[in-house]
Amino acid sequence: MKHFSFYIISLLCLNIFSQNKTIVAGENLTFTASYNMSGILTDLAEVTMQTSEIKTSKTTLLRLKCKATTYSKWDSFFKIRDLYESYVSPKTLTPFLYKRDINEGGYYKFMQYKFNHKTKTVQSLKKKKKKEGGFWEEKKSLSINSSTKDLVSTLYHIRNLDIDKANIGDNMDFKILFDNVENIINVRYLGKETISTNIGRKECYKLSLSVKNNDVLKGSNANLLWLTADQNKVPVYAKFKIAVGSGELKIKSATGLN
Amino acid sequence: MKKTLIILGFITAVFAVILVVTPLFKIALFPAIIAVLSGLGVLYLANKTKTSKKVVQYIFLLSIMSLAIMTYKSITDTSEVGNTEALEELEKSSEEDALEELEGIDLDIE
Repeated sequence: MKHFSFYIISLLCLNIFSQNKTIVAGENLTFTASYNMSGILTDLAEVTMQTSEIKTSKTTLLRLKCKATTYSKWDSFFKIRDLYESYVSPKTLTPFLYKRDINEGGYYKFMQYKFNHKTKTVQSLKKKKKKEGGFWEEKKSLSINSSTKDLVSTLYHIRNLDIDKANIGDNMDFKILFDNVENIINVRYLGKETISTNIGRKECYKLSLSVKNNDVLKGSNANLLWLTADQNKVPVYAKFKIAVGSGELKIKSATGLN
Repeated sequence: MKKTLIILGFITAVFAVILVVTPLFKIALFPAIIAVLSGLGVLYLANKTKTSKKVVQYIFLLSIMSLAIMTYKSITDTSEVGNTEALEELEKSSEEDALEELEGIDLDIE
Protein backbone atom coordinates (compact mmCIF):
# COMPACT_ATOMS: atom_id res chain seq x y z
CA MET A 1 0.00 0.00 0.00
CA LYS A 2 2.87 2.32 0.92
CA HIS A 3 4.57 1.60 -2.42
CA PHE A 4 1.30 1.96 -4.30
CA SER A 5 0.61 5.45 -2.90
CA PHE A 6 4.23 6.42 -3.66
CA TYR A 7 3.76 5.45 -7.33
CA ILE A 8 0.46 7.34 -7.53
CA ILE A 9 2.04 10.49 -6.08
CA SER A 10 5.07 10.13 -8.37
CA LEU A 11 2.85 9.76 -11.42
CA LEU A 12 0.77 12.76 -10.39
CA CYS A 13 3.93 14.82 -9.89
CA LEU A 14 5.31 13.76 -13.27
CA ASN A 15 2.02 14.72 -14.88
CA ILE A 16 2.06 18.14 -13.20
CA PHE A 17 5.67 18.76 -14.24
CA SER A 18 4.99 17.87 -17.87
CA GLN A 19 2.11 20.33 -18.16
CA ASN A 20 2.66 23.38 -20.34
CA LYS A 21 2.65 26.51 -18.21
CA THR A 22 4.88 28.68 -20.39
CA ILE A 23 4.00 28.53 -24.08
CA VAL A 24 0.88 30.28 -25.35
CA ALA A 25 -0.53 30.80 -28.82
CA GLY A 26 0.25 34.15 -30.46
CA GLU A 27 3.85 34.38 -29.31
CA ASN A 28 6.25 35.97 -31.80
CA LEU A 29 9.98 36.08 -31.12
CA THR A 30 12.41 37.57 -33.64
CA PHE A 31 16.17 37.03 -33.51
CA THR A 32 19.25 38.12 -35.42
CA ALA A 33 21.74 35.38 -36.22
CA SER A 34 25.32 36.57 -36.53
CA TYR A 35 28.65 35.01 -37.40
CA ASN A 36 31.56 35.91 -35.16
CA MET A 37 35.08 36.10 -36.52
CA SER A 38 37.75 37.33 -34.09
CA GLY A 39 35.20 39.55 -32.35
CA ILE A 40 33.80 41.07 -35.56
CA LEU A 41 30.12 40.21 -35.86
CA THR A 42 28.44 39.91 -39.24
CA ASP A 43 24.65 39.68 -39.33
CA LEU A 44 23.58 36.71 -41.42
CA ALA A 45 19.92 35.97 -40.99
CA GLU A 46 16.68 36.66 -39.21
CA VAL A 47 15.20 33.83 -37.18
CA THR A 48 11.60 33.88 -35.99
CA MET A 49 9.79 31.61 -33.55
CA GLN A 50 6.00 31.82 -33.69
CA THR A 51 3.18 29.96 -32.02
CA SER A 52 -0.43 29.74 -33.17
CA GLU A 53 -3.51 27.62 -32.58
CA ILE A 54 -4.64 25.14 -35.19
CA LYS A 55 -8.01 23.42 -35.12
CA THR A 56 -8.49 19.92 -36.48
CA SER A 57 -11.84 18.09 -36.54
CA LYS A 58 -10.87 16.28 -33.30
CA THR A 59 -8.95 18.80 -31.20
CA THR A 60 -7.03 22.07 -31.03
CA LEU A 61 -3.27 21.91 -31.36
CA LEU A 62 -0.41 24.36 -31.01
CA ARG A 63 1.62 25.11 -34.12
CA LEU A 64 5.24 25.89 -33.29
CA LYS A 65 6.93 27.51 -36.24
CA CYS A 66 10.57 28.49 -36.71
CA LYS A 67 11.80 30.35 -39.76
CA ALA A 68 15.28 31.34 -40.89
CA THR A 69 15.73 33.93 -43.64
CA THR A 70 19.04 35.38 -44.77
CA TYR A 71 19.33 39.15 -45.00
CA SER A 72 18.98 40.55 -48.55
CA LYS A 73 22.73 41.30 -48.81
CA TRP A 74 23.41 37.55 -48.51
CA ASP A 75 20.66 36.36 -50.85
CA SER A 76 22.82 36.52 -53.99
CA PHE A 77 25.65 34.62 -52.24
CA PHE A 78 23.86 32.02 -50.12
CA LYS A 79 20.10 32.30 -49.86
CA ILE A 80 18.44 30.54 -46.94
CA ARG A 81 14.68 30.07 -46.61
CA ASP A 82 14.08 27.47 -43.90
CA LEU A 83 10.80 26.50 -42.31
CA TYR A 84 10.56 24.20 -39.29
CA GLU A 85 7.15 23.32 -37.84
CA SER A 86 5.88 21.16 -35.05
CA TYR A 87 2.23 20.50 -34.27
CA VAL A 88 1.99 19.74 -30.57
CA SER A 89 -0.50 19.22 -27.78
CA PRO A 90 -1.09 22.62 -26.10
CA LYS A 91 -1.27 20.89 -22.70
CA THR A 92 1.90 18.76 -22.77
CA LEU A 93 3.84 19.99 -25.84
CA THR A 94 3.89 16.39 -27.12
CA PRO A 95 4.56 16.46 -30.88
CA PHE A 96 2.24 14.79 -33.40
CA LEU A 97 3.56 16.14 -36.66
CA TYR A 98 6.91 17.67 -37.54
CA LYS A 99 7.84 19.27 -40.82
CA ARG A 100 11.18 20.61 -41.96
CA ASP A 101 11.41 22.38 -45.29
CA ILE A 102 14.88 23.74 -45.95
CA ASN A 103 16.19 25.66 -48.91
CA GLU A 104 19.83 26.60 -48.39
CA GLY A 105 21.92 27.95 -51.26
CA GLY A 106 20.03 25.83 -53.80
CA TYR A 107 20.01 22.71 -51.63
CA TYR A 108 16.47 21.54 -50.88
CA LYS A 109 15.31 18.99 -48.32
CA PHE A 110 11.95 18.13 -46.80
CA MET A 111 11.48 15.94 -43.73
CA GLN A 112 8.21 14.96 -42.14
CA TYR A 113 7.61 12.90 -39.01
CA LYS A 114 4.20 11.59 -37.99
CA PHE A 115 4.39 10.52 -34.35
CA ASN A 116 2.37 7.64 -32.96
CA HIS A 117 2.92 7.72 -29.20
CA LYS A 118 0.87 4.59 -28.53
CA THR A 119 3.01 2.35 -30.73
CA LYS A 120 6.16 4.45 -30.15
CA THR A 121 6.78 4.75 -33.87
CA VAL A 122 7.36 7.55 -36.33
CA GLN A 123 6.40 7.54 -40.00
CA SER A 124 9.16 9.47 -41.69
CA LEU A 125 9.10 11.02 -45.14
CA LYS A 126 12.20 12.48 -46.75
CA LYS A 127 12.13 14.44 -50.00
CA LYS A 128 15.05 15.79 -51.98
CA LYS A 129 15.33 17.50 -55.35
CA LYS A 130 16.68 15.45 -58.22
CA LYS A 131 19.32 17.00 -60.47
CA GLU A 132 17.25 16.20 -63.57
CA GLY A 133 14.10 17.70 -61.97
CA GLY A 134 11.34 16.29 -59.81
CA PHE A 135 11.68 14.84 -56.32
CA TRP A 136 13.23 11.78 -54.77
CA GLU A 137 11.24 10.32 -51.86
CA GLU A 138 12.06 7.97 -49.01
CA LYS A 139 9.48 6.62 -46.55
CA LYS A 140 10.50 4.88 -43.34
CA SER A 141 8.94 3.61 -40.14
CA LEU A 142 11.14 4.27 -37.11
CA SER A 143 10.90 3.00 -33.55
CA ILE A 144 11.41 5.72 -30.98
CA ASN A 145 11.71 6.11 -27.26
CA SER A 146 8.64 7.28 -25.33
CA SER A 147 10.30 10.66 -24.60
CA THR A 148 11.66 11.30 -28.10
CA LYS A 149 10.61 14.60 -29.61
CA ASP A 150 11.49 16.67 -32.64
CA LEU A 151 13.90 19.60 -32.64
CA VAL A 152 11.31 22.39 -32.49
CA SER A 153 9.16 20.93 -29.72
CA THR A 154 12.33 20.19 -27.70
CA LEU A 155 13.32 23.88 -27.86
CA TYR A 156 9.92 24.82 -26.48
CA HIS A 157 10.04 21.95 -23.99
CA ILE A 158 13.32 23.33 -22.55
CA ARG A 159 11.51 26.65 -21.97
CA ASN A 160 8.79 24.78 -20.11
CA LEU A 161 11.18 23.23 -17.59
CA ASP A 162 10.96 24.23 -13.92
CA ILE A 163 14.42 25.81 -13.96
CA ASP A 164 13.64 27.83 -10.82
CA LYS A 165 13.66 24.54 -8.90
CA ALA A 166 17.00 23.40 -10.36
CA ASN A 167 20.36 23.64 -8.64
CA ILE A 168 23.53 24.81 -10.36
CA GLY A 169 25.08 21.87 -12.21
CA ASP A 170 21.80 19.98 -12.63
CA ASN A 171 21.45 18.48 -16.08
CA MET A 172 18.88 16.70 -18.17
CA ASP A 173 18.96 14.63 -21.37
CA PHE A 174 16.53 15.13 -24.25
CA LYS A 175 16.08 12.67 -27.09
CA ILE A 176 15.66 14.36 -30.44
CA LEU A 177 14.84 12.74 -33.76
CA PHE A 178 16.83 14.53 -36.45
CA ASP A 179 17.48 13.21 -39.96
CA ASN A 180 15.91 9.87 -38.90
CA VAL A 181 18.49 9.45 -36.12
CA GLU A 182 17.83 9.77 -32.40
CA ASN A 183 20.27 12.23 -30.84
CA ILE A 184 20.70 13.00 -27.17
CA ILE A 185 21.01 16.64 -26.15
CA ASN A 186 22.24 17.40 -22.67
CA VAL A 187 21.08 20.61 -21.02
CA ARG A 188 22.98 21.81 -17.95
CA TYR A 189 21.92 24.65 -15.67
CA LEU A 190 24.86 27.00 -15.02
CA GLY A 191 23.16 29.59 -12.82
CA LYS A 192 21.61 33.03 -13.10
CA GLU A 193 23.12 35.96 -14.99
CA THR A 194 21.84 39.47 -15.79
CA ILE A 195 22.42 40.53 -19.39
CA SER A 196 21.49 43.49 -21.62
CA THR A 197 19.23 42.64 -24.54
CA ASN A 198 17.15 44.51 -27.12
CA ILE A 199 14.10 43.95 -24.92
CA GLY A 200 15.80 45.39 -21.83
CA ARG A 201 18.15 44.27 -19.09
CA LYS A 202 17.04 40.81 -18.02
CA GLU A 203 17.90 38.37 -15.30
CA CYS A 204 18.40 35.06 -17.10
CA TYR A 205 18.89 31.36 -16.54
CA LYS A 206 22.15 30.34 -18.19
CA LEU A 207 22.08 26.88 -19.78
CA SER A 208 24.76 24.89 -21.53
CA LEU A 209 23.82 22.58 -24.43
CA SER A 210 25.78 19.67 -25.82
CA VAL A 211 25.02 16.84 -28.22
CA LYS A 212 26.16 13.41 -27.07
CA ASN A 213 28.23 11.31 -29.51
CA ASN A 214 27.97 14.01 -32.16
CA ASP A 215 30.33 16.86 -33.01
CA VAL A 216 27.79 19.29 -34.52
CA LEU A 217 28.21 21.64 -31.59
CA LYS A 218 31.85 21.98 -30.59
CA GLY A 219 33.49 22.55 -27.24
CA SER A 220 32.34 22.05 -23.66
CA ASN A 221 30.26 24.88 -22.21
CA ALA A 222 30.74 26.70 -25.54
CA ASN A 223 27.10 26.41 -26.58
CA LEU A 224 25.10 28.55 -24.23
CA LEU A 225 21.51 29.66 -23.99
CA TRP A 226 20.09 32.44 -21.83
CA LEU A 227 16.39 32.23 -20.92
CA THR A 228 14.70 35.07 -19.03
CA ALA A 229 14.20 34.14 -15.39
CA ASP A 230 10.47 34.87 -15.49
CA GLN A 231 7.26 33.04 -16.33
CA ASN A 232 7.88 33.22 -20.12
CA LYS A 233 11.48 31.96 -20.12
CA VAL A 234 12.14 33.77 -23.39
CA PRO A 235 15.38 32.76 -25.12
CA VAL A 236 17.12 36.14 -25.38
CA TYR A 237 20.66 35.18 -26.28
CA ALA A 238 22.47 32.10 -27.53
CA LYS A 239 26.11 31.45 -28.30
CA PHE A 240 27.24 28.41 -30.25
CA LYS A 241 30.52 27.09 -31.52
CA ILE A 242 30.52 25.27 -34.84
CA ALA A 243 33.24 23.69 -37.00
CA VAL A 244 34.22 27.04 -38.55
CA GLY A 245 34.05 29.90 -36.05
CA SER A 246 31.18 30.70 -33.74
CA GLY A 247 27.76 32.22 -33.95
CA GLU A 248 25.32 34.24 -31.90
CA LEU A 249 21.57 34.57 -31.75
CA LYS A 250 20.26 37.80 -30.23
CA ILE A 251 16.65 38.70 -29.61
CA LYS A 252 15.27 41.60 -31.65
CA SER A 253 11.67 41.67 -30.47
CA ALA A 254 9.24 39.62 -28.41
CA THR A 255 5.46 39.99 -28.61
CA GLY A 256 2.36 38.06 -27.54
CA LEU A 257 3.93 36.71 -24.36
CA ASN A 258 1.99 35.25 -21.44
CA MET B 1 62.98 41.42 -46.64
CA LYS B 2 61.72 44.43 -48.62
CA LYS B 3 60.50 42.20 -51.46
CA THR B 4 58.66 39.92 -49.02
CA LEU B 5 56.94 42.90 -47.41
CA ILE B 6 55.97 44.31 -50.83
CA ILE B 7 54.44 40.97 -51.89
CA LEU B 8 52.62 40.56 -48.56
CA GLY B 9 51.40 44.17 -48.65
CA PHE B 10 50.06 43.84 -52.20
CA ILE B 11 48.34 40.51 -51.65
CA THR B 12 46.63 41.62 -48.43
CA ALA B 13 45.66 45.02 -49.90
CA VAL B 14 44.04 43.37 -52.94
CA PHE B 15 42.36 40.81 -50.66
CA ALA B 16 40.97 43.65 -48.53
CA VAL B 17 39.52 45.34 -51.62
CA ILE B 18 37.88 42.07 -52.72
CA LEU B 19 36.44 41.40 -49.25
CA VAL B 20 35.10 44.92 -48.82
CA VAL B 21 32.72 44.56 -51.78
CA THR B 22 31.18 41.36 -50.33
CA PRO B 23 28.71 41.17 -47.39
CA LEU B 24 31.70 40.07 -45.29
CA PHE B 25 33.11 43.61 -45.61
CA LYS B 26 33.85 43.93 -41.86
CA ILE B 27 36.45 41.17 -42.10
CA ALA B 28 38.38 43.32 -44.63
CA LEU B 29 39.76 45.14 -41.59
CA PHE B 30 42.30 42.35 -40.92
CA PRO B 31 44.00 42.24 -44.37
CA ALA B 32 43.82 46.05 -44.58
CA ILE B 33 45.73 46.40 -41.29
CA ILE B 34 48.34 43.86 -42.42
CA ALA B 35 48.69 45.78 -45.71
CA VAL B 36 49.21 49.10 -43.89
CA LEU B 37 51.81 47.54 -41.55
CA SER B 38 53.62 45.95 -44.52
CA GLY B 39 53.54 49.33 -46.28
CA LEU B 40 55.07 51.03 -43.26
CA GLY B 41 57.74 48.31 -43.17
CA VAL B 42 58.56 48.87 -46.86
CA LEU B 43 58.65 52.64 -46.28
CA TYR B 44 61.11 52.25 -43.40
CA LEU B 45 63.39 49.94 -45.44
CA ALA B 46 63.19 52.25 -48.48
CA ASN B 47 64.22 55.23 -46.32
CA LYS B 48 67.07 53.24 -44.86
CA THR B 49 68.43 52.04 -48.22
CA LYS B 50 67.37 55.26 -50.04
CA THR B 51 65.50 53.35 -52.77
CA SER B 52 62.20 54.01 -54.56
CA LYS B 53 59.05 54.41 -52.43
CA LYS B 54 56.58 54.36 -55.33
CA VAL B 55 55.32 50.84 -54.65
CA VAL B 56 54.31 51.84 -51.09
CA GLN B 57 51.87 54.38 -52.50
CA TYR B 58 49.89 51.63 -54.27
CA ILE B 59 49.72 49.51 -51.10
CA PHE B 60 48.53 52.48 -49.07
CA LEU B 61 46.08 53.55 -51.76
CA LEU B 62 44.42 50.11 -51.91
CA SER B 63 44.29 49.65 -48.12
CA ILE B 64 42.98 53.19 -47.46
CA MET B 65 40.36 52.64 -50.18
CA SER B 66 39.19 49.40 -48.56
CA LEU B 67 39.17 50.96 -45.07
CA ALA B 68 37.14 53.94 -46.34
CA ILE B 69 34.56 51.70 -48.08
CA MET B 70 34.40 49.48 -44.97
CA THR B 71 33.73 52.48 -42.70
CA TYR B 72 31.08 53.84 -45.07
CA LYS B 73 29.35 50.45 -45.35
CA SER B 74 29.49 49.92 -41.56
CA ILE B 75 27.61 53.21 -41.04
CA THR B 76 25.07 52.87 -43.82
CA ASP B 77 24.54 49.07 -43.78
CA THR B 78 21.10 47.92 -42.63
CA SER B 79 20.12 44.31 -42.16
CA GLU B 80 16.85 43.74 -43.98
CA VAL B 81 15.17 40.53 -44.96
CA GLY B 82 14.81 40.08 -48.72
CA ASN B 83 11.89 38.67 -50.67
CA THR B 84 9.99 36.16 -48.52
CA GLU B 85 6.87 35.77 -50.67
CA ALA B 86 7.70 32.18 -51.58
CA LEU B 87 8.32 31.33 -47.92
CA GLU B 88 5.00 32.91 -46.87
CA GLU B 89 3.17 30.87 -49.51
CA LEU B 90 4.99 27.77 -48.31
CA GLU B 91 3.84 28.49 -44.73
CA LYS B 92 0.20 28.66 -45.85
CA SER B 93 0.33 25.53 -48.01
CA SER B 94 2.25 23.69 -45.30
CA GLU B 95 -0.47 24.47 -42.75
CA GLU B 96 -3.17 23.23 -45.14
CA ASP B 97 -1.20 20.03 -45.78
CA ALA B 98 -0.60 19.60 -42.05
CA LEU B 99 -4.34 19.81 -41.35
CA GLU B 100 -4.91 16.94 -43.79
CA GLU B 101 -2.05 14.91 -42.31
CA LEU B 102 -3.27 15.50 -38.73
CA GLU B 103 -6.69 14.04 -39.59
CA GLY B 104 -4.98 10.70 -40.13
CA ILE B 105 -2.92 10.81 -36.91
CA ASP B 106 -3.99 9.43 -33.54
CA LEU B 107 -4.01 12.57 -31.37
CA ASP B 108 -5.34 10.82 -28.30
CA ILE B 109 -2.46 10.63 -25.83
CA GLU B 110 -3.76 12.54 -22.81
